[in-house]
Amino acid sequence: MHTFETFTNNILEIKDLSLNFKGNNPDTLILNHLSFSIREGEILGLIGNSGCGKSMTALSITGLLKSDAQIKSGSIIFNNQDLLKLNDKEKRAIRGKEIGMIFQEPYTALDPLMNIYHNLEEVLIEHETLSKTERHDLIVKMLDRVGFTNSEEILNRFPHELSGGQRQRVLIAGAALLKPKLLIADEPTSSLDTVTSCSIMKLIKSLCDELNMSVLFISHDLSTVGNFCDRVLVMRTGEIVDSGSSFDILFNPKDAYTADLLTKSKFDPKVLNLTFNTPDKDAEPVIKVSNLCAGYMDRKGFKRVYKNILEDISFNMLPGEVVGLIGSSGCGKTTLTRALSGLINPKSGTISTPAGRLAVVFQDPGTCLNPSYSVYWHLAEAIRAAKINMTKEELKAKATDTLVSVGLEPMHLDRYPSQLSGGQRQRVAIAMCLMLNPAIIIADEPLSSLDTTSGARILSILSSINREFNTSILLISHNLRIVKATTSRVLVMNEGKIVESGNTQDVLTNPQSDTTKELLDAEITLHKNFSTDRLAIE
Amino acid sequence: MNSRKYNKTYFIVGALFLGIIVLSFILSLFGVGGDPETTSSATKLLAPSSSHIMGTDNLGRDLFARVLSASKYTLFISITGVLVSLTLGTIIGILAGYYGGWIDRVLMLLSNTIMCFPGILLALVAVAVWGPSLFNVIWALGIVFSPSFARVYRTEVIKVKNKEYILNAKILGVSSLRIMAIHIFPNVFTQIIPAVVIGLANMTLFESAMSYLGLGVQPPKASYGKILADAQSYIRVAPWLVIFPAIMLVIYILGLYFISEGIRGDQ
Amino acid sequence: MKARVSYILSKLLEFILTLLLVSLLTFAAFSIIPGDTASAILGPDATPEQLAILREKLGLNVPLYQRYLSWLGGAFTGNLGESTAFGVPVSELIASRLPVTLGLSAIALVIVIVIAYPSAILSSRKPGKTLDQVFSVFGHISFAIPQFVLSLIVILLCSTVFNYFQVGKYVEPSKDFLAYINCLLLPAFCVSVPKIAMTFKFLRASILAEKGSDYVRTSKSRGLSDIKIMFKHILPNSTVSVITALSVVLADLLGGSLVVEQVFNLPGLGRLLIQAISRRDFPLLSGIVFYLATMMVILYFVTDILISIVDPRIKMGEGGQ
Repeated sequence: MHTFETFTNNILEIKDLSLNFKGNNPDTLILNHLSFSIREGEILGLIGNSGCGKSMTALSITGLLKSDAQIKSGSIIFNNQDLLKLNDKEKRAIRGKEIGMIFQEPYTALDPLMNIYHNLEEVLIEHETLSKTERHDLIVKMLDRVGFTNSEEILNRFPHELSGGQRQRVLIAGAALLKPKLLIADEPTSSLDTVTSCSIMKLIKSLCDELNMSVLFISHDLSTVGNFCDRVLVMRTGEIVDSGSSFDILFNPKDAYTADLLTKSKFDPKVLNLTFNTPDKDAEPVIKVSNLCAGYMDRKGFKRVYKNILEDISFNMLPGEVVGLIGSSGCGKTTLTRALSGLINPKSGTISTPAGRLAVVFQDPGTCLNPSYSVYWHLAEAIRAAKINMTKEELKAKATDTLVSVGLEPMHLDRYPSQLSGGQRQRVAIAMCLMLNPAIIIADEPLSSLDTTSGARILSILSSINREFNTSILLISHNLRIVKATTSRVLVMNEGKIVESGNTQDVLTNPQSDTTKELLDAEITLHKNFSTDRLAIE
Repeated sequence: MNSRKYNKTYFIVGALFLGIIVLSFILSLFGVGGDPETTSSATKLLAPSSSHIMGTDNLGRDLFARVLSASKYTLFISITGVLVSLTLGTIIGILAGYYGGWIDRVLMLLSNTIMCFPGILLALVAVAVWGPSLFNVIWALGIVFSPSFARVYRTEVIKVKNKEYILNAKILGVSSLRIMAIHIFPNVFTQIIPAVVIGLANMTLFESAMSYLGLGVQPPKASYGKILADAQSYIRVAPWLVIFPAIMLVIYILGLYFISEGIRGDQ
Repeated sequence: MKARVSYILSKLLEFILTLLLVSLLTFAAFSIIPGDTASAILGPDATPEQLAILREKLGLNVPLYQRYLSWLGGAFTGNLGESTAFGVPVSELIASRLPVTLGLSAIALVIVIVIAYPSAILSSRKPGKTLDQVFSVFGHISFAIPQFVLSLIVILLCSTVFNYFQVGKYVEPSKDFLAYINCLLLPAFCVSVPKIAMTFKFLRASILAEKGSDYVRTSKSRGLSDIKIMFKHILPNSTVSVITALSVVLADLLGGSLVVEQVFNLPGLGRLLIQAISRRDFPLLSGIVFYLATMMVILYFVTDILISIVDPRIKMGEGGQ
């Protein structure tokens, strides 16, 4: 790790920067007299929740603010000149050449009609006078540098033919092509899975060392930033509330807000009161999956071919057992959910649920409820669909009870999905499952779109359902911390197969398969100084 | 904020324009302006005056009365025509979008085929073969316009059908018919409203063109297209015969466009 | 590459199927007439002898499917029989009128593109500002004026205020090409006006959408100027997304030409169509309908192929009309 003494010069200095939107209350500034500096060669983390002004800071530096944002005061000194005083042409000469930038969504950040070569070439054409072969060589060299082994081939690919991680590499290559002094990375890993995130972070760090480039790393995830940044700034409503070396921020937060952010993202089972039933080992399983193969019909030219996704999946779950399912994106988790819930028919193998119903809680709180109907309609529809006869009064009573059991109130019955928060909608979706007293609930990444507080609430509700009704839960998640905090047994999936399974504690401390090792490695690299028990091991 | 106000203005102006046409329809029901079909050689091609607000045509008919009564056919044909095509389009679009696969391919092939006939041509031929009656005009236009509704529905249904609440309904065991009618339809119908308003406008454009060509509403009944066709020969001597019905026609269509713009802005 | 070939093949299959359906529909429309085709053509006053002769001439005495097959064969070899009203082969009649209608539509398309693109680019520079609002209101008004009404207004203005264009004049392209263009210019303008508004609206919306996209932000962060981004990134992408709409516009232009010809008294397919309808000339009518629809089928097919060339994302089963 760098020590502070090695930094001598400030590459960028922001002094007293204030910004507001046109027509906003002049007293509530988006950026409130912000001052900080980035030193030569350091990685500076900028942390905060959405809307705290961290992206606005980045856009101010690069001069890409929308026309409704107005700088009220301050200066941004870069290379001995005030960026705010430059005209449009002078700013453009700096963008891409002196200051590079990468963004959150690699999927849409490249022009879909152009191949990778043309997407990258424009930055060279804009700032340098090079021959075609020189441009070609430079781009290939940089693609090699960011980790492609088949750079020549990648040049002719189109963006849609690359994965999210590959696209982010291409974008980093584009930003680093002219060896800028400063790279601004605005949440570059937020939409990538853990393993890919980890490799992207490593890449940024090594580029930073090699090119002696400073990095302003913007993120909402404190745990990620801690391990890669030299210093961290914590931002809240346009002000910097905490700053220091990343070690200080992670272990001795001076500010209450930082401390709060830290505790919430830890998912500590004791804090959240997550206790689960101990399943009876001799009981009849609630779900038996044996040799399941499933997939979908794909068209290959004029031929319709069956594309197999799941291969030979077998597992059982006991009544009241909570099982975790982990794997990288594309491992077949979604297809498994669909096969288990009967949305797609298995090609071979069997799924049996002798103890009764299976219900699913999906990932996206935005679309888990039908926007045209009230909460009560949703709960009643579950009963209607199951063709259970109930009088109006019975239905109403049951709906009210169920709603209360997921921590909502009877008054929520008449609400529409648009009037509920994401966490509340997710809870209504759970209530819909409970209406039919399922023997097993499949929870497919139920927390991934929720903030930490609502996510923790969902976990508590799932645990109380498990305790109260002895319902089995299959928790699909990419977050190892959550799986560790909640499940007793874990299945690891890769490329449609279950590659490892066993006691959660054993699998996560002594992984056998490469997939688990890779997942765990990425998790440790990203969050090494973070979870308390991990620290004890090191 | 600025654009919000702007869209509201669109809606109000559009509603005002439509109000004019509805008002003239109501007035025509009460026989204001006299009988639109009475001819008189004494009052041929009179310029607008206090006794004939919009003047008279070559057969001495009062243009004001004719313009008022034409609103009746315009409203009737556009509304019933849209109802026919909306019903067809809804069924085709939802089925194609929901089931996909070969059902989708067959239905879309059919509606693409209909779209390959320039709309006016198909309507003209239908009327030519089956005879120019009000009923034939309506179903011909209804069929011509149904593919455009089917397409909007299909796209919207495809967007909705893989949302989690639909998947969940399937897992709960709701029947396909109920999913389409109760779970999907209310969520796609709001998306179709601008298309309905535009459909009304387009239907009027087609109807007036057909009447202009002599294959729509038949004389002596008055429709804007027919009045304009009759007026063409007198365009130099009696320009008011063109101007007034043209303005009414444009006001109706413009009103519909403005309203659709206003609705779109609210979403 | 393989994906593109199979995409084109599947579009070709769709093209052939559509063409067959078009022919079937056209044939059916004129064969399932209430009563009998011959009496429909000749009217109620026809004598039995006349009817018998016409039936023989139209081949009505053979089974329906045989008639369809021979009609289909004729349709694809350009032999659709003789017009009952004009006594000339149908294909000859259509060929002689085609230059007017196609010329009209083509000129109208050029006008649409030449006006819609620049105004959409200007309008999207500052959305919601004065220029954009003026363009939008203009767009709505021109959207709402039926083509034949606009033609009447133009004729009214030309005959009273200006005297430049000669309304109703037509010169064959083989005689004097410039004069041919000149007499089609004004009618083409009337055909194009509502479609300029439509294209403008599509383009403006799509340019605005592309402007907010992430790849535009990437290019901005690399120091490219707004103008370069507009021509290098935004316009190609918006064109891809409106290219289907443009093919529908062209179809509408063709339909509009049929009506506007009638107002300007131009000897095109539109007038031939009206004549065929009023004289109940069914062989001619079915010929016009079939060939116009075939042109549209070809147009949509070409559009699909164009999209697959411009847009690398096209895969089997995606995209389309």
